[in-house]
Amino acid sequence: MDDYLVSVLSNIGVISFVALSAYLLLLTGEISFGQQAFFAIGAYAAGMATAMWGWPLALGIAWGAAVGAACAVSLGIPTLRLRGLQFSIATLAFAEMVRILFELFRYQVDIDGEPVGPNGTDGFRSIRYIFDHNIETFDFMMLIYTMLAVTLAGFMLLERSRLGVIFRMIGEDATLASLQGIAVARYKVLAAGIAGALAAVGGGLYAHLTTYVEPRTFDVMLGVHSLAYGLIGGLGTALGPLLGVVIDVGLLESVRLFAGYRMIIFGGLVALLLIFRPRGLLDERLVNRIGRLFRNAISGSTRTGRGSR
Amino acid sequence: MIDFIQNTIDGVMIGSSYGLLALGFTVIFGVMRRLNLSYGPTVMIGAYFGTVLYLDFGAGLLAVAAAVVAGAVISGVYVERLCFAPMKAGAGIASMVSSFAIWMQLEQAAVLVLPRHTYPFPPLATGPALEIGPLLVRPDHLIMLGGALLLAAVVQLALYHTRFGLGLRAVIANPIAANLVGVDVGRLVMLAFAAASAIGGVAGFLVLAVDQQVTPMFGMWATLKGLIAMMIGGLGSIPGALLGGLLLGVVEVHSHWLFGPQVRDLFAYFVLFAFLVARPGGLLGRTADVELSHRV
Amino acid sequence: MLDVSELVTTYGKIEALKGVSLHVAGGKITCLLGPNGAGKTTLMMTIAGILRPRRGSIKLEGAELVGLSPAKIVSRGIALVPENRLVFPEMSVRENLLAGAYQRRDKSEIAADMERMYARFPQLKERREQLAGTLSGGEQQMLAVARALMSRPRVLLMDEPSLGLAPLIVAEIFDIVAALNRDGTTMLLVEQNAHMALKVAHQFFLMEQGRVTFQGTPGQLAEDEVIQRAYLGTRRAG
Repeated sequence: MDDYLVSVLSNIGVISFVALSAYLLLLTGEISFGQQAFFAIGAYAAGMATAMWGWPLALGIAWGAAVGAACAVSLGIPTLRLRGLQFSIATLAFAEMVRILFELFRYQVDIDGEPVGPNGTDGFRSIRYIFDHNIETFDFMMLIYTMLAVTLAGFMLLERSRLGVIFRMIGEDATLASLQGIAVARYKVLAAGIAGALAAVGGGLYAHLTTYVEPRTFDVMLGVHSLAYGLIGGLGTALGPLLGVVIDVGLLESVRLFAGYRMIIFGGLVALLLIFRPRGLLDERLVNRIGRLFRNAISGSTRTGRGSR
Repeated sequence: MIDFIQNTIDGVMIGSSYGLLALGFTVIFGVMRRLNLSYGPTVMIGAYFGTVLYLDFGAGLLAVAAAVVAGAVISGVYVERLCFAPMKAGAGIASMVSSFAIWMQLEQAAVLVLPRHTYPFPPLATGPALEIGPLLVRPDHLIMLGGALLLAAVVQLALYHTRFGLGLRAVIANPIAANLVGVDVGRLVMLAFAAASAIGGVAGFLVLAVDQQVTPMFGMWATLKGLIAMMIGGLGSIPGALLGGLLLGVVEVHSHWLFGPQVRDLFAYFVLFAFLVARPGGLLGRTADVELSHRV
Repeated sequence: MLDVSELVTTYGKIEALKGVSLHVAGGKITCLLGPNGAGKTTLMMTIAGILRPRRGSIKLEGAELVGLSPAKIVSRGIALVPENRLVFPEMSVRENLLAGAYQRRDKSEIAADMERMYARFPQLKERREQLAGTLSGGEQQMLAVARALMSRPRVLLMDEPSLGLAPLIVAEIFDIVAALNRDGTTMLLVEQNAHMALKVAHQFFLMEQGRVTFQGTPGQLAEDEVIQRAYLGTRRAG
């Protein structure tokens, strides 16, 4: 596989985590402009763990996820009673604060005669774990996709579980859900925590993929993009945000055909798409229909199976 | 002490431009109950209209101002027709994401027309700062503040003392009831959008004429500053928008003076966050005004 | 005066009106009765232009209304007092009345009509600068009627004006309905309160499940049968 393809695919995989993070909150009815903060936190925490403290990669990423989840929960609690635009702007403000704090954050240790660690606006360089351990970029890509597959499997289970139903119920109508005896606050904080962890895992992988991170990577643009991916790809399934990322990062970033006009075409297409499919390509209705077809096909084949016997 | 007063004055001056941006935002949000992320970029397109006129045709200040406002109105109506008018009830989030996509489009269009990172913009008022005792006030700042106060007064008057304003408030209260009394809701919303873009255009012109340069990043800057000032001031309140802008300006100038530019932005976001958590309605808005559920 | 014929209005695939025809005679009160979900409000919203019919026609003195915008329909002379009144809560009583005259440009006539409304509804005059949202339910209903009248309608549509009001207030509202009619206003009135409706109506229609199932004059059908059908729907034979 050529290097360019590996790098594009790796990017798609990593960005998918932030998109899924924003998507999970959308399910519970919240529009967050701030999931990039947890992506950043995961990237810095995991990077510091492996590059500065010499932790193994798995532990570093798990640590990043834990820090991300903890920060997300501590954002989730004060923003609980905020609705709609207030919530969105509060998450945006939080994420910008996080980004600026990373711009001010300097903490370096000496490793092999070289200072390593976050260095303000210059970012955090030499997160060299995959070089030091001779991990091929292809293998690292496979790692990203394995983790993404596990995450997707988690989403599929969630959709079928009681928790998934509760999340969607809160998203449809939080008041109604609370009248049904659901502890809305607790589940919202839980969703925020999971979403934070997800973005942080993506961040941890991203830091090791690119070997350095800069605060400005994690600006509002990344946050709004992550949100948009779900809307473009579709809100009916966790595959929707993935499709959104593939369309944007994969198709358009890598095909240089429209160089200079890319956003003019893509922006217009997205606007048109949303007129006709306001909940994205893979919206709830389409997913439901495909699911029915699929189930019918299965029950149909078992019926013919029985008939032939 | 003199520094403190001087910084506060400067903050009010800078803040008046934020207030103006928030004014346009407030009109759009009030009428649509939807977030137009493309608000800043439409103003930026207007600014590019003005810059082209200035660079290629040597246009004067008033012509440039007219071009900025016209460009903002044209691109604002384009955004309204594409991202807001065709969206059904309940698709507020689709409108928002769609306006984001158009933001990207407008930004690229601007870069295609003028590919360098910065371009000059004609100055509003040259000449020395006015000395009032130990304090200094820039004349262009005074014009900006005057413009903001004037425009806020005009918007308030138009909203409460004209037929257009009456119809608009009817739409804000209840679009169906507005329809039933004979208000052409679609047309009125488009006009309100155009008016809000014109306000944004005036704000953009004043800011750029003070800075004397324009970049494609101006769109994002204008959206963010307008949004922050609007949220601090309180959704749906015209005086609130202005006041929110002034407060943001004062906070920024003081924290810049004390701690430098990075901490300035940190402070601005912190004030925004603290307001949202402690007082979600902002300075003058009512909490009941806020509803951007992704269904309704 | 107002002729509705073969009107079909759908919500997605569901037909809420399945070919409704009715005639509203000029100068008369026509009542529309029927159980919840019969399509009465859908019919009113379709006449007012808020909903677009799939098929059929709505003619006001021979001129087609289907396809016109709600604003145009108001200027042609139809005004709807909507279910739940929908006054503009953050606007004063006076501003609500002004909004009712939105399609009109004749300033002096508007001012004169305003005075007429205050004469007819003295409570509104007392509260002219009060915000409409702070009025009582009955006062809001009067405001909604007055607001509709401000457009000088040729046909006044009223959707459940008695909804949620105390019996005494309901009686007052029906007095207003009768008085307006004496002054020559043509009315199409949707009501759940069949007893009150039959008292004032000159003719009435029964709607059930998206269709008109009976039309006639009060007295043609025993009141308890009307009530039976208006509340519960017809018990189908077999």
